[in-house]
Amino acid sequence: MTAATVPAAARRVPLTGPARLLRLELRRNPMLWMLPLLAALFWLGVYRPALANPPFWNVRATALQHALLFLGPLLAGVTAWAGSRDGRRGLTDLVGVTAVPRWTGQLASWAAATCWAEAVYLGGVAVVYGITAEQARWGGPLWWPVAVGAAGVATCCALGFAAGALLPGRFTAALAAVVVFLALGGGAFAMQNNNTYAQIWPLDVQGPFPTDSYGIFYPYVPDLAIAQVMFLAGIAVAALGALGQTARAGGRGLRVAAAAVTVAGLAAAGTAVGLAGTARLEAHGIVIPALHDAASDRPVPYTPVCSHAAVPVCLQPAYRGFLPAVSAAVSPTLGALAGLPGAPVRVTQVAVTSVVQGTGNSVGLGGPVVVGRPPVLFLPLAGLPLPGEPGTTATQFTSTLRMQVGPPVLNDLVGLSNSAGLQPGGGPGAVFGQSATSPRTAAQRAVAAALAQDAGLLPALRPASGPRPSGKWQVWPGRGAYLARGQQAAVAVRFAALPAAVRHAWLAAHLGPLRAGRVTLSEIP
Amino acid sequence: MTAARVGHPAPESATRPARPASPLRAGRRMVRLHAASRQVLSSLIVLVFAAAALGTALHWLPRTGVLAREIPLTIEAGAAAVIGVATRSPFGDPERVTGRWLPWLRLAVNVALAAAALGALAAGSATAHLSGGAVGLLRDLAGFTGIAWLAAALLGGGLSWIGPMAYLGVTLPALTGHWTTPWIWPARPPDDRGAAICAALVFAAGITVTTLRGARDSVRE
Repeated sequence: MTAATVPAAARRVPLTGPARLLRLELRRNPMLWMLPLLAALFWLGVYRPALANPPFWNVRATALQHALLFLGPLLAGVTAWAGSRDGRRGLTDLVGVTAVPRWTGQLASWAAATCWAEAVYLGGVAVVYGITAEQARWGGPLWWPVAVGAAGVATCCALGFAAGALLPGRFTAALAAVVVFLALGGGAFAMQNNNTYAQIWPLDVQGPFPTDSYGIFYPYVPDLAIAQVMFLAGIAVAALGALGQTARAGGRGLRVAAAAVTVAGLAAAGTAVGLAGTARLEAHGIVIPALHDAASDRPVPYTPVCSHAAVPVCLQPAYRGFLPAVSAAVSPTLGALAGLPGAPVRVTQVAVTSVVQGTGNSVGLGGPVVVGRPPVLFLPLAGLPLPGEPGTTATQFTSTLRMQVGPPVLNDLVGLSNSAGLQPGGGPGAVFGQSATSPRTAAQRAVAAALAQDAGLLPALRPASGPRPSGKWQVWPGRGAYLARGQQAAVAVRFAALPAAVRHAWLAAHLGPLRAGRVTLSEIP
Repeated sequence: MTAARVGHPAPESATRPARPASPLRAGRRMVRLHAASRQVLSSLIVLVFAAAALGTALHWLPRTGVLAREIPLTIEAGAAAVIGVATRSPFGDPERVTGRWLPWLRLAVNVALAAAALGALAAGSATAHLSGGAVGLLRDLAGFTGIAWLAAALLGGGLSWIGPMAYLGVTLPALTGHWTTPWIWPARPPDDRGAAICAALVFAAGITVTTLRGARDSVRE
């Protein structure tokens, strides 16, 4: 370059030292060359699985937070490569005497790499959310999972860069990538064994809750996400602060400041882990008392979408597309019961009916329940494989839901408890929960079995012939029929064979006594 | 020679007239220097740590599930990345134009490191249940190593780890999504012949390319 060419460069906007350094790093950073690979990994690991699922904002947001697993290791490796540049090229002494403190230069290099990485991540977020906005029928984007993902990207870059700068070597980049991968994978293992402190794992969205169970009926509970962002930011700040404590980083004042930054970062990360330790599972997400906003506990108002059947089915608008399938699942059971005293007059979708913390990082979600006067069937759909999810067809969904909804409704109708009554499933095994039968429950079982057959919950009933386990209603695989012994089965077969109108009329007149256990088998037509 | 040594008298051996060495001795010295230039000893140490990490992880991991596959795969990919990084030459063109035995040296070092990685990881997993077993370990490690060598030829030895780590990222959706393509061999059962052939092909391609051409020399390194 000659002096004559200098004025041409002077036309650019003048930048101060660090900003100019950042612009240089942005143009020369190795992350730039990784963008196609990162984009491909995002497409394979995030975009494709996310778009393969129904267009729920919570499902898509969860996939976006999980993007860290696909991007994080490579980001750590590439930034370690960038961070070790001076050491690899033997330039440490040379760059240590420049006008800008070395720490500032390193921060500029990290910031450039992080900018490119965030551009990939946020670009992917924009694409996924843009498509979801066109497909989704209700709701809006969840930003907290994206914030955790973005913080995780910056943290992976910071950890990798610090490793490369502090331990420059041939294997540093590779090992940084492997360690980040192991840390992210090991977090899943920790989650299985510890449901308190391990919740801080940045791939954990709402603990054991299914991905479609939060952020629809109630606002997304951001408590855990806040703690995770605090944790990730603390780790990143500590790693970057550690860079400034080497002798070449700058003057004494700068090193003291870097030490303070490191301590602050570690304190933030430690506080976040402590907060995660106070997390508890509640009905709509993970709650951390110190971070919880009571506004998250207020339900989100919405106008349900309802079918126009004899027993209307009302769903949250986000599930509008599943209304025909849900109606097809519940109609065979509820349609035959319409008008009977105690039968559900409406089906209303709810977020959950009950939540029980299981062992490890698991949760037990309650099934459908019939509550109130007039009775309403409260139906949770969270956690069910929905039509459109990989491997689930509308027919499979309808069949699964029918088997879940039918038994509790019929048990409630005839007065059987769910533990003693018809069992959900419909597979081989016991039809009823308890094998012992009292005279009080014999009639209830016979009626429930007949109604279940009519609703398609059981195949054709027939009484057992020959020696069978006494008194047990069992499905015998390969025989295509449910068998029972003795009078109960005979009554059930007889009652099921009645015309629907006759059966309905008898039930309308006798449901009260049947529920109270005052009807005997001989009184059933 | 570093700056610290400037001004010191040269070692006596440097001033002594060169003595003709026997071919065996010269060959041994060439192998030793080649191994030193590729940091083979450091690679072996890292592989031993990888084996220890695998053994430790297998004691804690569940026996089934995605996690039981993914963590060992990560360690295998790490071992392959180390083998790939070891192909980096600090000399570049001078070595290429003067090293008549260079392809054989590359082949020897690559095969030795791959065998050492297999032995170390097999030893590390010997006392615990490894999902996929020893056959799966052989197939997956061979495939990862082949990818690392191909990446070394394409990107340079220092960046060859990108290959196995990117491939590892691809295996995640393959494991959870039950992909059936044999080219994602970690997602296939250990007795899947197609997956084994694909891994073997990648290994063969990788070792052929790095033996004949070596890792790409990049001025950026």
